[in-house]
Amino acid sequence: MNRCTVTTGFFVLGRCGQAAVAACPQCGRPVCAAHAGPNALCPECAAAQGYRTQDPHHPGWTHGYRRDYYRGSSQTYNDGYWYSSFDEYDRGAFNPGDDYSHGGDWGPDDDTGFVDS
Amino acid sequence: MSHGPLRHRAAYVAFDRFPSSKGSAVHIAQMADELFTRFGGGLLAAIGGGDLPRYQREGTREVARFDASIPNLIDRAEAFSGWVAAHLRPHWETLEVCHVRDPWSALPAVADGRRHTVVYEVNGLPSIEMSHTWPWAAPATLGKIRELERFCLERSDAVVVPSRVIGEAVRGLGVPEGRIHLVPNGADVGDRPERPAGAPERYLVYVGALQPWQGLDVLMRAFARLADLPGLRLVVCASVPERRAKPVRRLAERLGVAGRVDWRFALPHHEVAAWLAHAEVSVAPLTGCARNLDQGCAPLKVIESMAAGVPVVASDLPAVRELMADGRHGRLVPADRPAELARAVRILLEYPEEAAAMGRRGRAHIEESLTWARSRARLAEVYRTLTRGR
Ligand SMILES: [Zn+2]
Ligand SMILES: [Zn+2]
Repeated sequence: MNRCTVTTGFFVLGRCGQAAVAACPQCGRPVCAAHAGPNALCPECAAAQGYRTQDPHHPGWTHGYRRDYYRGSSQTYNDGYWYSSFDEYDRGAFNPGDDYSHGGDWGPDDDTGFVDS
Repeated sequence: MSHGPLRHRAAYVAFDRFPSSKGSAVHIAQMADELFTRFGGGLLAAIGGGDLPRYQREGTREVARFDASIPNLIDRAEAFSGWVAAHLRPHWETLEVCHVRDPWSALPAVADGRRHTVVYEVNGLPSIEMSHTWPWAAPATLGKIRELERFCLERSDAVVVPSRVIGEAVRGLGVPEGRIHLVPNGADVGDRPERPAGAPERYLVYVGALQPWQGLDVLMRAFARLADLPGLRLVVCASVPERRAKPVRRLAERLGVAGRVDWRFALPHHEVAAWLAHAEVSVAPLTGCARNLDQGCAPLKVIESMAAGVPVVASDLPAVRELMADGRHGRLVPADRPAELARAVRILLEYPEEAAAMGRRGRAHIEESLTWARSRARLAEVYRTLTRGR
């Protein structure tokens, strides 16, 4: 029998594990009765629908996404100014890959947080 | 459970992976949980990647995780800010409180036309911290980051700090006293956990990340001076991935102590608690650098060590003195002095009864004044004050 693979928990994450009653039409994962939303959508896909998510892996995302998004937005969002004040020279100091800097060695399994006790 | 789009009254935003084995994750869990308890749910927007799902929904709580793999830090921060703005947008009309942890999260939250209040939790200042982690960053670049910090702090309704030292640093950036609120870190005092499998008979423990300001080099040099103590080992519970340990391990080898050091990486929080509880001494050798002195720090490891009932030997820094007392909960030693650190550890090992008494007093001290429940009550008070009459 298929088990529901929805991630549960907040600080300690787990898998639901209840008997699945359907497969999410969006991502195909098995979902239990409690986790199946309208049209059997899983909670992850249901939440994603609430946000205008685009594929962040798309190369144009960083800049293009913001521009598109804010052109139609009535708020003034100051990041256009703030981030454009960081030029290539400023940014160059924050490239990973050198062993010299602790923070410079970055991998997908790393935190991006600054402060750690 | 609800299936349509949720409209939240509260959001907590952090440029941090969540959950993770780092101290910051414990802090985020406590603060966000308090926020969501007060406001009937909310959105936690944090960093994801790896196995973490992009979205989670638990009742009225949502977690959204930014998982774009962008190596350059500023590019990544910029993308994150944009992503945060997009995730706050659906809640713009209902949002009452947005709690942020860093300037990259704060920038979209303090935008013009907002109705919500912004609580900016400052655990450190990137403009200071980044000069340590990114030694190639030019002063002019760090200056721009400071201006960004200042801008976000200025526009925040309340600034929450975990220590008085950080409060001073924030005041130095022009935030009026009345807007700064001290919400110390806490720990939970629980039952004594079982001895971890494979734990050495007698060991010192270090818990935390491995950045230069943590003083692991000082600790290794101190440990080299304790080579005469039979069977004594050092257990390093690193909160970061193994490859980050390379520089420290190289040093340990050079000092001839590598064979007496046991490494554990990215352990879950409860396992770290067990390693703490069964250690002879917990060491927090923070260096006396600007990051720890001017900006301040609020070392959770000191609090968690006391909660575990283990005596602490820590650097005598103002931020540490806010948490523990020399001679009462352990020993405070001058920062960056391996010989003094070694001596303090040696004395505690020679007087185990006194050391045990210090451990007990530390535990009582946490129970009386530094529990998460107390911290959360203070945070709740900040939210109450801010949202009163709105
Ligand atoms: Zn799905
Ligand atoms: Zn389920």
